[in-house]
Amino acid sequence: MLLEAILIGLVGAVGILDGRIFGQTMIERPLVLGPVVGLILGDLQTGIIVGATLELVWMGIVGIGSATPPDVTTGGVLGTAFAIMTGSGPEVALALAVPIAILAQSLGILVRTINTFFIHRADRYAKQGDTGKITLMHWLGVSLFFLNGFVPNFLGIMLGSETVEAFVNNIPAFITDGLGVAASMFPALGFALLLQMTFSMKLSPYFFLGFVIAIYFGVDITGVAIIGAIIAVILYQLDKSDDEEVTL
Amino acid sequence: MEEQKKPGEITKKDLRKVFWRSFTLQGSFTYERMQALGYLFSLIPLLKKLYPDSKDRAEAYQRHLAFFNTTPAVSSFIMGISGAMEQKNAKDKENFDISTINNIKVALMGPLAGIGDSFFWGTFRVIAAGIGISLATDGNILGPILFLVLYNVPHFLARYYGTFIGFNKGTDLLDKVQEKGQFEKVSLSASVLGLIVIGAMTGTLIDLSTPLSFSMQGSEVNLQETLDEILPKVIPLGLTLFILYLLKKNVKVNYIMLGIIAIGIVSSVLGIF
Repeated sequence: MLLEAILIGLVGAVGILDGRIFGQTMIERPLVLGPVVGLILGDLQTGIIVGATLELVWMGIVGIGSATPPDVTTGGVLGTAFAIMTGSGPEVALALAVPIAILAQSLGILVRTINTFFIHRADRYAKQGDTGKITLMHWLGVSLFFLNGFVPNFLGIMLGSETVEAFVNNIPAFITDGLGVAASMFPALGFALLLQMTFSMKLSPYFFLGFVIAIYFGVDITGVAIIGAIIAVILYQLDKSDDEEVTL
Repeated sequence: MEEQKKPGEITKKDLRKVFWRSFTLQGSFTYERMQALGYLFSLIPLLKKLYPDSKDRAEAYQRHLAFFNTTPAVSSFIMGISGAMEQKNAKDKENFDISTINNIKVALMGPLAGIGDSFFWGTFRVIAAGIGISLATDGNILGPILFLVLYNVPHFLARYYGTFIGFNKGTDLLDKVQEKGQFEKVSLSASVLGLIVIGAMTGTLIDLSTPLSFSMQGSEVNLQETLDEILPKVIPLGLTLFILYLLKKNVKVNYIMLGIIAIGIVSSVLGIF
């Protein structure tokens, strides 16, 4: 259990650090971390499926701008881990992952607040032209984010799994069924969150176009993406606000 | 007074260091100045070389601790531009207006975040996730792998070449692009692509149908079958648009989530879904 808890803690840390020092390459997402957790706990298949379910739910949740979103890394890691450890399906993973992500969000807010201390120290070292100490301040911030990822996931496995198992075993069937329905509704929230950024009356036909191509012609997502890319390029060319090309 | 040391030449190797350091942009993120410290940390290899004099270097360090926030994937482009401007300043201090360095940064981070978000968050990630999820729901390990590859190929290309393009011809390029409103044009195309893919996902990835049936003139009518004849997947479509409406009315996401769980349980007990 200790070894597993440490490994899961490290997975959480890598996930949190993805957006911090790995350039946000998306390894933080449940779709990627789910299978990794599955591999550690010896059930890759469930890890992949639970990861995909959680990704659908949280697809619209991203850290854009200054807002700190729910912690989908910790939610995804612990949600997947508990689903595998208790032998239950994606519905239970979802029911656990959503509140965990909201709880863990406050840790992220705490770190971003504490880091203010380091940047004020960095101000002082900048005045002295002290490269080494500025660098140190940067990495102290990183180390807090490491703990932000490691601690809740490690403790979650160490302390939480028995409690969670007892809890999960006592959930009445009608709740589990209901969560299953909720799980299939959640992606609608994810898509609505994505649409919130770009959807307007003027652009709405493109949304419906994608919907219709997929349901009436049975084109898969890859195919729709290719059609979409072609339409986007045509639109760009049709916009004759200026004929001269800008070359890189 | 002793003669001042000359600023060093920025090489490809130095810019590559900036590229690698740019990955850590948000490592010490704060609410107060966001990515400021990470931005300075990324530029250090250039600033150290350009300002052998410690007083000039200290000034440059302070300059780059100002508030900064943009889409991480396009940050190295702005860093390249900052580097080119710092080089101009280091070589010809008398004729260079030093305030332009931060002015350009501030002027760029907004529009580039707009274009970066619509490309990387709204388009590449959505397409990559859509394809990845549709494979992974069947338990296929290719799902997560393709997700990472599809997102990161454009990401690494933009980040790597962005550093060099920003340094070599950033300011010229920006003048041209801004003049012609290219930002808006490109953003619009990216949004269109994103919307088409989200539309397709709404139609294929929400698995929600109703078992309801009722009798009409003596014969049993299955509601879902009737709906399928009119507009298949109308339930997922309607639900998505309804939630979008709630979001536009500023209903909090956490309330919507709780609402979905409550509706899920109630409707499952009543046998609606």
